[in-house]
Amino acid sequence: MPKRKLDPLPSAAFQILLSLVGEDLHGYGIMREVEDQTEGRMRLGPGTLYSSIQSLLEAKLIEELDQHEDAKLSHERRRYYRLTSAGRKLACAEAQRLADLLRVARVKKLLRGEYV
Amino acid sequence: MSEKIYAWLLRLYPSHFREKYGDDALQLFRDRSRDEKGIVPSLRLWLDLFADLAISVPREYFHAEPELVAASAQYPFTGTPFFYVLRDKSPRPGALVLGVMLSLGALVTFSILLSQGGRYRPLSAPARQNQHAVYESSPASVQPALQAADDASYSASGGVETIASISQQPAMAATPARPIDATPRDSQSLVPLAPNNSLCPQSSTPQPLDAANPIQPDPSPTHPDSTPATAAAVQNANLDAAERQLVIDAVVANLKDHYIYPDIAHRTADALLAHEKAGDYDALTDGAAFATLLTRQLRDVSHDLHLEVVYSQVPLPSHLTGPTREGIARYRAVMEQQNCTFEKAQILAHNIGYLKLNSFPDPSLCESTAKAAMVALNDADAIIFDLRNNRGGYPGMVMLMAAYLFDHPEYMYNPRENTAEQSWTHSPVPGNRLANKPVYVLISSRTFSGAEHFSYNLKMLKRATLVGETTGGATDVGNFHRIDDHFGMGIRETRAINPYSESDWAVTGVDPDVKVKSADALDTAVKLAESKLRKK
Repeated sequence: MPKRKLDPLPSAAFQILLSLVGEDLHGYGIMREVEDQTEGRMRLGPGTLYSSIQSLLEAKLIEELDQHEDAKLSHERRRYYRLTSAGRKLACAEAQRLADLLRVARVKKLLRGEYV
Repeated sequence: MSEKIYAWLLRLYPSHFREKYGDDALQLFRDRSRDEKGIVPSLRLWLDLFADLAISVPREYFHAEPELVAASAQYPFTGTPFFYVLRDKSPRPGALVLGVMLSLGALVTFSILLSQGGRYRPLSAPARQNQHAVYESSPASVQPALQAADDASYSASGGVETIASISQQPAMAATPARPIDATPRDSQSLVPLAPNNSLCPQSSTPQPLDAANPIQPDPSPTHPDSTPATAAAVQNANLDAAERQLVIDAVVANLKDHYIYPDIAHRTADALLAHEKAGDYDALTDGAAFATLLTRQLRDVSHDLHLEVVYSQVPLPSHLTGPTREGIARYRAVMEQQNCTFEKAQILAHNIGYLKLNSFPDPSLCESTAKAAMVALNDADAIIFDLRNNRGGYPGMVMLMAAYLFDHPEYMYNPRENTAEQSWTHSPVPGNRLANKPVYVLISSRTFSGAEHFSYNLKMLKRATLVGETTGGATDVGNFHRIDDHFGMGIRETRAINPYSESDWAVTGVDPDVKVKSADALDTAVKLAESKLRKK
């Protein structure tokens, strides 16, 4: 099976990594978190979401939890995902890259603002 | 309900994705539809889902390129059969059933198309020959010989409806295709050269269908109003009420069954029935006059000059026979003797090419002669086609000749042609230098059918200057329907689109650009050509 491409990191994949920074989430949780952190601009559909999750799993950037505490309580079997250290490193690198870009944009007076 | 729909849509994903994430995706859908209630949110949900499907389904299939799974565990030892399978699972029964149904559907559709298609495009050789039918009437000069050939061979073809001559032209009037014509023919009586086509069934003394037609001189007008003075008319005076009734009924039925425009067919049929009711036909005892009157009335209402009713004094054959071997051999002999009716191909003063062509002969016999004639004129600075005695012939030869006059494929409208590909010239012709030279076509009232096809199109394409008289006006596009021993009717059943106007040259003929007497046409054309070349 051809490897899914994560280089460059697609925006959906980066958003998923970001959403998992704070806590472990299941699919729907990730979708909601992404929606929040993009202020509603990105709503991941099931196909895009799970296809991205699959790529991230294959690249060992996230991992699937055996059994989450919440899931134990409810009867629904949900898969939860957690950021791996590699995933965290990649998310950092990507954020850094974006920050660099942002800095350039500010220098060129494309964006106003003092920080970053 | 909506969950079921989404579950069904999930089946669009490849199986490996469904197996792993199908439940999760469905769960996500459930969560969202639980949280997003109301018309707008659920509309947004579905929009999201469809956008998601459109993006992710193709991507999943791209990533789902099958892994080769080695089914046999061992490597192939010498000669041991082993194979790879693309998947380690057999297809679902539903998929198999669907596959079988789709294949059956495709097979049935294809068979139906194949059998239906055969109706419109003849596949067998005889049928094809019909399609490339000669227009008809042989050139007057080769007439006697051709006439014999025609009678024997090109009379009519079996099984296929014949194309009747639509002309009301004395010269076009054809005898029924039977070698029985005991009446000595006068110089006017011509036989259809048309292989397929039979016969334009008319009395051996040709009678114009439309005596009012101003173009054609009429040797023996049989006008409906005129007293039946001729011998033929006296003989014809045996039309009784029963046959009149039969003919009218058949004409009406044929119109309704075969005419390409049903509304016009009904209007025309109603008009005939009204005339009948008014007693307009009661006094008519002359078959030819009756046919002429019917034809005029048909055309008055339909404005279709391809419609006609014809009368034949000689009984029409009850079935049509194909060309005989002898007939073809005789046609061939005549063509050899007459140089394929290429009477002259010469260079006149001022390097003007002159080609006198008296028919458009069968290209399968005369292609080399035609090419030789055009090669002989290849270096001319202008070219004159003399078609004043050209009574038509094979559309294939018309196209072959016309090809020399263009440097790109050009559309030549032919009212008889059903297929567009036969209507494009095979231009440019390799080595030909005539494509951009001035062209003059000499025409007369004895220019018919295929020659009119040639002249009409060159005129409409502004490729030639037509010099002489208005042509005869014969298109010969109708399919012939036999009514009884003496009556039949021609109905146009093809819908070749004329790019230039609604009417073509049927009956009215092709008008010259420069109107002079036929006898003066050559001198006039030469002068025109000389003055044009001087200006260059």
